[in-house]
Amino acid sequence: MKPIKIAILSLTHGHTRKYFQTLNDNPGFEWVAVSAESKKVQEIFYKYGYDVPCYMSDEEMFEKHSDIEAVVMASGNSRHLEQFRMCAERGIHILSMKIPTFDMNEYDEMIKLVEESGIICQVELEMHYNPVVTRMKKLFSENQLGVVSGINATNITLSPVWAFPWQGVPEESYGKRVPLNSNNTRFRGGALCDHPHIFDMIRWLTQSEFDYIFAEVGPNIREELEVEDIILVNGKMKNGVSFLLDPSWSRLEERLVVPGPGWEVFPKRMEVNFNISGEKGVMLADCFGPNVYHNGAPNDRYTVQYTYFDEWIGMMDEFIHCVRENNTPMINLMWHKKTIEAMNACYESIETGQPVFL
Amino acid sequence: MVNNIENAVKLLLHKYEVKANAELNLLPGWSFLNKELNDNDMPLLSWRFNRRFIELKKIVSDEVVENVSMLRFCSLGDPKIWSLNALMYREFDLCEFITGSRITYLHATLSSGLAGNIIVKLENGTIGSVEISVQAPAGKPLIERHEIIARRGVASDIVVDTQVPQSSIYTFTENGDMGYKDVDNELFGMDEFQVEWIRAAFQYLKDPTQSENLIKQHDHLSRLVESALRSNSNKLKVKVA
Repeated sequence: MKPIKIAILSLTHGHTRKYFQTLNDNPGFEWVAVSAESKKVQEIFYKYGYDVPCYMSDEEMFEKHSDIEAVVMASGNSRHLEQFRMCAERGIHILSMKIPTFDMNEYDEMIKLVEESGIICQVELEMHYNPVVTRMKKLFSENQLGVVSGINATNITLSPVWAFPWQGVPEESYGKRVPLNSNNTRFRGGALCDHPHIFDMIRWLTQSEFDYIFAEVGPNIREELEVEDIILVNGKMKNGVSFLLDPSWSRLEERLVVPGPGWEVFPKRMEVNFNISGEKGVMLADCFGPNVYHNGAPNDRYTVQYTYFDEWIGMMDEFIHCVRENNTPMINLMWHKKTIEAMNACYESIETGQPVFL
Repeated sequence: MVNNIENAVKLLLHKYEVKANAELNLLPGWSFLNKELNDNDMPLLSWRFNRRFIELKKIVSDEVVENVSMLRFCSLGDPKIWSLNALMYREFDLCEFITGSRITYLHATLSSGLAGNIIVKLENGTIGSVEISVQAPAGKPLIERHEIIARRGVASDIVVDTQVPQSSIYTFTENGDMGYKDVDNELFGMDEFQVEWIRAAFQYLKDPTQSENLIKQHDHLSRLVESALRSNSNKLKVKVA
């Protein structure tokens, strides 16, 4: 199969560096270029030592490499629509970050752009390619728990805002400045915007859609943030499954400008766990465990050192397959729309103080 | 290689466009203990491809823990899969792989091929305990602990305040309690030991220049196992040649 000529846009998304090895190793890709949003980002990229040219604008990159077939759109949420337009115009396939946009008019325009240009757009929900999730799906397909009644899922992390500042700026993460509610000095655009995975996964596992959803924010544990960092969500799916989701930034961090060793204050910097209750029993799953552990450098704190992060391999294999075979990705814009609507409903619930029916 | 391992290796070779000699006998090194290697035999150090040990090695080599003083390794296995010699071979190699130093002498106490306790000393002065047994019930995954104690920090593949290795998923259902640990989505369905074997075989086929080093390390590990047996018989500390 002819390798796909691929580029990465912007390099400002927290997941950017996860793509480097896969684009480099997978013979299905020929990694031809990247564009950077700032000199600082460019310098960081060059430190990785890949022999890939880095341009200071998307346009310049596309001009110099007219043969680019696909991009990883590794930018902040507020830049996605303009980059979608740019790619659709050029017939370039898109691997979109996990939040294409929270603005449903923009979202519909993205769907239209993809449909009319005939490009492939896959949304980066990499948990689907995690081996623990694959096992969970298998256990569900074997009906090991029988009829499921309740799901509790966490997607809790440290806050990436010190390394990726756009994630703490309401206009850039949520798309506009909207107060959480009339009694609040904070705005939409924080931890919730960073954590769509559990909203998506519960739809996948229950094969049902959200019926109603309620959300509540706590006082921020980082007082200087103007977006929410502590949030809880509950509600019911249309098939009656009760759920509780925690998408908080509830693990404190050292305020590193470039993520690296010693970033975490709490030993485990990121967890995606599920507790599921069904008529035949219960299941507990830790999608990022077990690991190895130490209390060494740089801070002599007890620390989880992760042992596997191979989600990007399977996800990019699917992308290659979809581009070359003209197939619809598992996580496409249409599928993902209901996840974004549910996340928006959380903000609406915080604003109104009541559950929101979808 | 057994069929499922061979097929998985072939899939990786195909996916990553690696042309290789598929006729080789690529097995975990301990399978060749007490056997003459023929031209097609290649003793793999497959555990070195287990992400747990890669990260532990990195923790040591990157000086996240500094000045390692002691290793505390334990490996309790199913007798249908493991022998004491196989466990010694693997654990001795892990001592050397993780620390980057060679075992220079050891003292072993072994009981009827069923269990044993060995103290090793490495060239860099680090000491280590290796606790092994093949009396775990049939079908039980290897019960392991690999702890590294240093002047700065401790590292381990067991989380603090627990005794047993953890799983990723636990189910408690009317059919009983189950644990699942899946570590490699590209090789989903393979257990941890199959995964490391497949990854080691694939890496060897990608880069066959490792042959000489693999055979040298196999000879060395075979001598370490013989030394442990001799130490036990003679009730003496044995220096490794």
